[in-house]
Amino acid sequence: MSISDATQAVSEELAARDDMIVCEGVDKWYGDFQALKGVTATVKEREVVVVLGPSGSGKSTWIRTINRLEVHQGGRILVDGVELTNDTRNIEQIRSEVGMVFQSFNLFPHLTVMDNITLAPRWVRKQSRPDAEAKAMELLDRVGIPEQALKFPGQLSGGQQQRVAIARSLAMEPRVMLFDEPTSALDPEMISEVLDVMKDLARGGMTMMVVTHEMGFAREVADRIIFMESGEIVEVGTPQHFFESPSEDRTKLFLSQIL
Amino acid sequence: MWGAGTRFQLPTAVFARNTHVNEDAVVTTTETSSSSLIATQQERVPLYRNTTVIKWVLQVIVLALVIFAGWFFGQQAADNLAQKGVQFDFDFININQGFDIAFGIDANPDTGGRALWVGMVNTIRLALAAIIVASILGVVLGVSRLSNNWIANRVSSIIIETLRNIPLLVQIFIWVVVFQQFGRLEADTPARLGGLLFTSARGVSIPRIFAADGFYQWLIWVLIGAVVARFVYKNRVAVRDATGNDTFAGPVAAGVVLLFALIGWFAHRIWGFLEVPLQAISDAWGSVPQSIVQILLSVLAIGGSALWIKRFLDARRTPAGLAKLTDDDYFRIVFSVLSAVVALVFFWVIWPGLSSWIVNSGSDFWQVAADKFGTDNQGNERTGGPFGFAMPDVVPNERNPNIVQYNLEALTLPIEFMAIFSALTLYTAVFIAEIVRGGILAVPKGQTEAADAIGLSRLQALRFIILPQAFRVSLPPLGNQYLNLTKNTSLAIAALYTDVYVVGNTVINQSGRVLSVFLIWMAFYLTLSLIISVVVNFFNVRLAIVER
Ligand SMILES: Nc1ncnc2c1ncn2[C@@H]1O[C@H](COP(=O)(O)OP(=O)(O)OP(=O)(O)O)[C@@H](O)[C@H]1O
Ligand SMILES: [Mg+2]
Repeated sequence: MSISDATQAVSEELAARDDMIVCEGVDKWYGDFQALKGVTATVKEREVVVVLGPSGSGKSTWIRTINRLEVHQGGRILVDGVELTNDTRNIEQIRSEVGMVFQSFNLFPHLTVMDNITLAPRWVRKQSRPDAEAKAMELLDRVGIPEQALKFPGQLSGGQQQRVAIARSLAMEPRVMLFDEPTSALDPEMISEVLDVMKDLARGGMTMMVVTHEMGFAREVADRIIFMESGEIVEVGTPQHFFESPSEDRTKLFLSQIL
Repeated sequence: MWGAGTRFQLPTAVFARNTHVNEDAVVTTTETSSSSLIATQQERVPLYRNTTVIKWVLQVIVLALVIFAGWFFGQQAADNLAQKGVQFDFDFININQGFDIAFGIDANPDTGGRALWVGMVNTIRLALAAIIVASILGVVLGVSRLSNNWIANRVSSIIIETLRNIPLLVQIFIWVVVFQQFGRLEADTPARLGGLLFTSARGVSIPRIFAADGFYQWLIWVLIGAVVARFVYKNRVAVRDATGNDTFAGPVAAGVVLLFALIGWFAHRIWGFLEVPLQAISDAWGSVPQSIVQILLSVLAIGGSALWIKRFLDARRTPAGLAKLTDDDYFRIVFSVLSAVVALVFFWVIWPGLSSWIVNSGSDFWQVAADKFGTDNQGNERTGGPFGFAMPDVVPNERNPNIVQYNLEALTLPIEFMAIFSALTLYTAVFIAEIVRGGILAVPKGQTEAADAIGLSRLQALRFIILPQAFRVSLPPLGNQYLNLTKNTSLAIAALYTDVYVVGNTVINQSGRVLSVFLIWMAFYLTLSLIISVVVNFFNVRLAIVER
């Protein structure tokens, strides 16, 4: 019921776009514990979806099933028309089209920033080294740290590391970017430098799915907000609908706790 | 700016500008702070409160104490030993000690020094063989303990937990008993594994591949191959970088070496002429007068010290000029000068013979090298292949045909060696297994996830992300295990294997020079340990992950 409300909230222009990520009744168990309970949602091309919800509600689990870091046990997931199955070819194809940015950066500490970024393009996309490095410099320019190219991750600040991680994902020229709390591990003064890069990406038309606690970012950038609790989608809507006139009691409770 | 196809370049301009700003900042701060400090320094500080004076006085006192303690205890020991009639000299090195050694490169060493050398070679052989086998076994055990295969996992867990908890000495005795179960060697002792293996109370005999006549000529081909392969490798990598296609640089380079090895197999004789230049080097080396070597050594000592001081000062130089040295820095410089002086005294006064020893052994070395080319001991041309191969066999003894023995060409490992080798290898392997497992587990799960997320395959993730990091974590404790193993070889006495410790004991009994042999043992084990440390450290430094 609330989901149908939300679908009406989506503008007609958005509804007309192609589907980028489609989840239909996705179930996920950890042993006896059901972490995802029939999650159904669609992310359109060039759309920015922010996923909100209390801790333990299954946000990370959901976003991680989309590039197969977690295996779902029920329902269907399609990315750009390709369904995630046990077929390794599908998995590899989807992974090279979906970029992911983690809360803890997960840069490779034994490689320079340049090598972190060019590793996958060179070995997965078979790009030549000069091409890959030129592209990497372009991306580093875009995230604002071209002078750090030859340093190692351990020599950078947290904000710089996260920006390298974003550049590393972008180097594979993904069609979708997934962000799992990209700013939660950062000191307050570094959060904005990462959010700025993300806003820039959104403006550039990247399809993005973002789990975050940054309400300002959600309000400003999101096309739609999905609110989860206990492994279920509770409410979907535009930022305006979500923050100003939420229809669900659980949403209201959540908002009253964090705002 | 970064046109497609142009090689990416270091953004030097950015760096350079930054450093400049910093330099200026440093200069200005120094100026302001020093001007404000002058006033306070004008005040006179009493000597006993002046930190500089205190430091220097303490340093001199400590140095004097150390020298005095060394001199005092040395003197006391010498007096005591003299009273008890214990002699301290190294004469036994050149005197026949009149005992045989059961296993080793020389069964009847003609001097004490030679006997100790046989023991040292036995220790080195044992340590080296055990290190290699324990490493391989350890990796296999460690990886299988992590594997999802239930049987492999259980079996390796049981092996590791059992062997880890039994003391090494007990394990040695167990292996001694195991190998003592082998029967006497008889003419009809059966060959196992299709003739590849004989076992008996005389030991285990296996096939041997050994360097033959043409080995060194062949080696020259391989060395040339290695140099060519290096260029080929670089070229392949460059092509891969330029096109993005995998050019299999490693396999191709290995193929080049193999190709040269193959050519050398047939063409190795062409290097026979090298005998002449090598002989010339040997002669030239032998004719160097002792004083020249002494002078060279002195130059080396002084030069080394001077170079160290220069580097030290350079490292402390700031862009604003030579930085103020702390007192500790002055101590280090003084110490460096002192070491050079001590070295000079050593070369010219304490042991001038060192120089002639260097001359002689250098000359011998080139002589041996020359002999490997040209003709062999009997004056025959070296016509054989680079390698010899011998299968184990049971043959009659030459002097007494009634008893049988293994043929000498095959590799025979006496049961004493087998017992200590098996115990040391297995005992160390289980610790290495735990290190390998720990190293792989120490790579955070996020690394694998990140590798997956950017689309690397399983194998690529292992090769570029997991293994390099696991190896970095494992290296220091691995080096520790190698050190432990090397020191544990001295337990060979429990298996009656004639390592340097066992031979040294016999030398003590024969010559009575306890202290001298003690010193030789210490120097030997210290040298082995240092070599291992240096090698491990070399890799450790090269692979270190750069942090802030
Ligand atoms: N590997 C796992 N094994 C068992 N349970 C798990 C595992 N990973 C997550 N869970 C459980 O699944 C539920 C959802 O976890 P998830 O990490 O997706 O929450 P989240 O919404 O991302 O929370 P947070 O905001 O704290 O990151 C939690 O109850 C968690 O305990
Ligand atoms: Mg989470």
